[in-house]
Amino acid sequence: MSWVTTCSVPAKEVTVSQYKVVHYINQFFGQIGGEEMADYPAEKRPGPIGPGLAFTQALGEDAAITATIVCGDSWFNENLELARQTVLDMVREEAPDLFIAGPAFNAGRYGVACGSIADAVQSELGIPAVTGMYVENPGADMFREKVYTIATGDNAAGMRRVVPAMASLGLKLVRGEDIGASVEEGYLPNGIRKNFFDQKRGSLRAIEMLLNKLKDKPFVTEYPMPVYDRVEAGPAIKDLSRATIAIVTSGGIVPKGNPDRIESSSATRYGSYHIAGVDDLTSDKYETAHGGYDPVYANQDADRVVPVDVLRQYEKEGKIGKLHDWFYSTVGNGTSVANSKRFAVEIAEKLLAQGVDAVIMTST
Amino acid sequence: MGGATESELTDIEKKNSFLILTNNPLVAETLGERFLIEFLDQKSDIEVLTLARNRVHLGHRILTAPLSGSVKPGETPYRSLMMTAEADDSLDFFSLGNMERALSVLRHQKVSTRAGSSAADLDYQLVDLSLIESALPSLEAAGLA
Amino acid sequence: MKLELGYIDIRGIRFDDYMAIEDGILVVNPKELAEAVLADPLIKSARLEIANPGESIRITPVKDVIEPRVKVEGPGGIFPGMISKVDTVGSGKTHVLRGMAVVTVGRIVGFQEGIIDMTGPGAAYTPFSKLHNLVLVMEPVEGIAPHDYEKAARMAGLQLAVTIGELARNLEPDETEVFKTPRISESFDAILRGLPRVGYVMMLQSQGLLHDTYVYGVDAKRTLSTLIRPTELMDGAIVSGNCVSACDKNTTYHHLNNPVVRDLLKEHGKTLNFVGMIITNETVYLSDKVRSSDWTAEMAEYLPFDGAIISQEGFGNPDTDLIMNCTKLEKKGIKTVVITDEYAGQDGKSQSLADADELVDAVVSTGNANMPILLPPMERVIGMLDYIDKIAGGHDGSLRPDGSIEAELQVITGATNELGYNLLSAR
Repeated sequence: MSWVTTCSVPAKEVTVSQYKVVHYINQFFGQIGGEEMADYPAEKRPGPIGPGLAFTQALGEDAAITATIVCGDSWFNENLELARQTVLDMVREEAPDLFIAGPAFNAGRYGVACGSIADAVQSELGIPAVTGMYVENPGADMFREKVYTIATGDNAAGMRRVVPAMASLGLKLVRGEDIGASVEEGYLPNGIRKNFFDQKRGSLRAIEMLLNKLKDKPFVTEYPMPVYDRVEAGPAIKDLSRATIAIVTSGGIVPKGNPDRIESSSATRYGSYHIAGVDDLTSDKYETAHGGYDPVYANQDADRVVPVDVLRQYEKEGKIGKLHDWFYSTVGNGTSVANSKRFAVEIAEKLLAQGVDAVIMTST
Repeated sequence: MGGATESELTDIEKKNSFLILTNNPLVAETLGERFLIEFLDQKSDIEVLTLARNRVHLGHRILTAPLSGSVKPGETPYRSLMMTAEADDSLDFFSLGNMERALSVLRHQKVSTRAGSSAADLDYQLVDLSLIESALPSLEAAGLA
Repeated sequence: MKLELGYIDIRGIRFDDYMAIEDGILVVNPKELAEAVLADPLIKSARLEIANPGESIRITPVKDVIEPRVKVEGPGGIFPGMISKVDTVGSGKTHVLRGMAVVTVGRIVGFQEGIIDMTGPGAAYTPFSKLHNLVLVMEPVEGIAPHDYEKAARMAGLQLAVTIGELARNLEPDETEVFKTPRISESFDAILRGLPRVGYVMMLQSQGLLHDTYVYGVDAKRTLSTLIRPTELMDGAIVSGNCVSACDKNTTYHHLNNPVVRDLLKEHGKTLNFVGMIITNETVYLSDKVRSSDWTAEMAEYLPFDGAIISQEGFGNPDTDLIMNCTKLEKKGIKTVVITDEYAGQDGKSQSLADADELVDAVVSTGNANMPILLPPMERVIGMLDYIDKIAGGHDGSLRPDGSIEAELQVITGATNELGYNLLSAR
């Protein structure tokens, strides 16, 4: 039975002992249309639709999809707050035992939507959730540590294999059973190390891995090393007394009122603030926007995070040539690596253009 | 932080002074007469390593592994560490990396609030002493002790 | 070097007033054996007990596990430099009492390591629950230094294993297996030319009291990295003086049955060319680490290896040696796979190793040692429980009133062995 061509059917009769499932899919799998219908607003329909039928089979007697939420990928991603609320309300109405999103395979916006809504359902409604997508789907990196994400191939041809894995993991979650290691259950490694008994002993696995490595064949390490982004230190400043020093901070110091609305966590922007003629950051003019530490001391005296007072002193004493007229600030609390890199590149370019010789970076 | 260059280490061999940073009274007692001991009485293992890390920032180098032994943090409260007694004018990243990694491990391993019987306590002191003593022959060979 | 191992399968152990192996049953005289142990004035009391697979028995605190063997033909004897005289071993014929082990139990220090449960959930995590164990429980004389007692207990265990092994000298093995470790020159033979040159770097714990390993009786602490023929391990050239941590220290049994050695020898000539084995230490003094790893890398390049498996032993500090050995080999173009366990916290979320490097891209994990485990009470305890709260992986209240133990996997002897002995892994 091809899941693509069948239409929605009314929900099968849900017996008392069966678990209730809500399924989230996009406009394409919901048979609304293709890319041109990606702005379709979220809509709840009874029973399973499209891939939901495959799930119905995989879930067997134990669970049934009582409702399917069909939502356009553009609509979701471009109306994040509204979309979240709308879908959460729909799910809340159904009061399911389990929430399944996708699978999204390699469709980026779909994957982000699946991960995002599954995460919201888990954290705000306390309902267990499962999704599935390809490892390179941007949604995977964003949400794999928050939501169990079954690893899929990069196209929907893998549906037949993926659906049972998602169903099986979903049922385990609902029943509160022990979830095995990522390789056992088929989900993307989520940063939680789990023990399990492998088929072969470690020494044999090591030899097999080595032979693959030696033949330049693909192999999968059992423990991926944390990769540190190592930066070469620049050459030392020979003469500080002629250098222009700028302050850049991730400590979140901003003018009082946070005019640039830098977020207290997961910041998406940074600000640059003029301090020419300012000798000291005082509590009436400056505050911290950072949500990750107790703000009392930084609010009392922002120099504690951005040491304008000391550097101005050094400038007067001739220890440094000049304190740069601008300091740059963002909030380093759960800031994504991607955004951090973006800020850094932009700020560095500006500082270089402004003739700054060195930067003092402060954080908390 | 991964390993920075180790070449800095060869310079230490020419220096002639080191000290032992420790919160272990048995180390202070046993080695106190032969070597320079900085005894951090009643301080925790994290405090010992934090002090060592701070010294590294001031130009000192560590000579022994901060997390020596397999008796877990949270079991044994004792840590002893050998460091150069004099500061260099540069920061040794190898020492810094080792110290920060060790501190990171200490913060994440389960720290128990065990009181421990006095018999176990003496034994932890003994094992820690043995670990730091194991470095002495190498120190002597290097002309540092 | 050619070594033939003759396995005598032991199906049970029995106490009687004589000593023999009868049809797979080991018969021993516990009084005689205990008296032999008590000949050492440092040991106050000694007794023998039997623990069979499936029995509701908890053995603790375990110091070492040793497989009895006897050299039947060829130079040297078992545990050269420790029990037998120093003489190069690893060739000829050796008989192995397969299916059993000598387990030494007793307080060396006030905290102690090692639990072996013969049944229940804990049994799945230790290979020793599947053996017939002859347990030697010892107590030291009051007031002796722990170093001296550790040595006495160590020697008592090894000697007992040799005494038992002797009983198999004239028996016909149930099965034999031959191991050949070729010369370096033979590694260049035409027949092996298409196969990758693979080596094994074995790291030995060598940090101090309860953290030592002996090679032909030499304390590994001040050794330089060196070569050893894999079959030498099968005759006990490497012996454990190591009690911590229970889960990832190599018992003497592990040394005798090193799985990397066995699996490499099995694949030699088929999928790879097992060129040689390097042993290296794990020290406290930082410069020694640099020297040892430099030396290891130089030797690996000298032989040369195309690829190497690196195994380590212990927690924390050795991770630095591991990373050094691995990265130095990789930088010389020698591809490596590393075998290690993890300390990822009880929730599995902490960083698993104390050190890291992106060059270490091929890792076999033998499990997270911090995994919480609940060990149900057993009907019988061989040894003592009074220190359980202080055992690594335990905590105050670890030992519950009903005799069950709430602790981490690291309390179980051999659970996350870093030679890759077990099936346990983590992802």
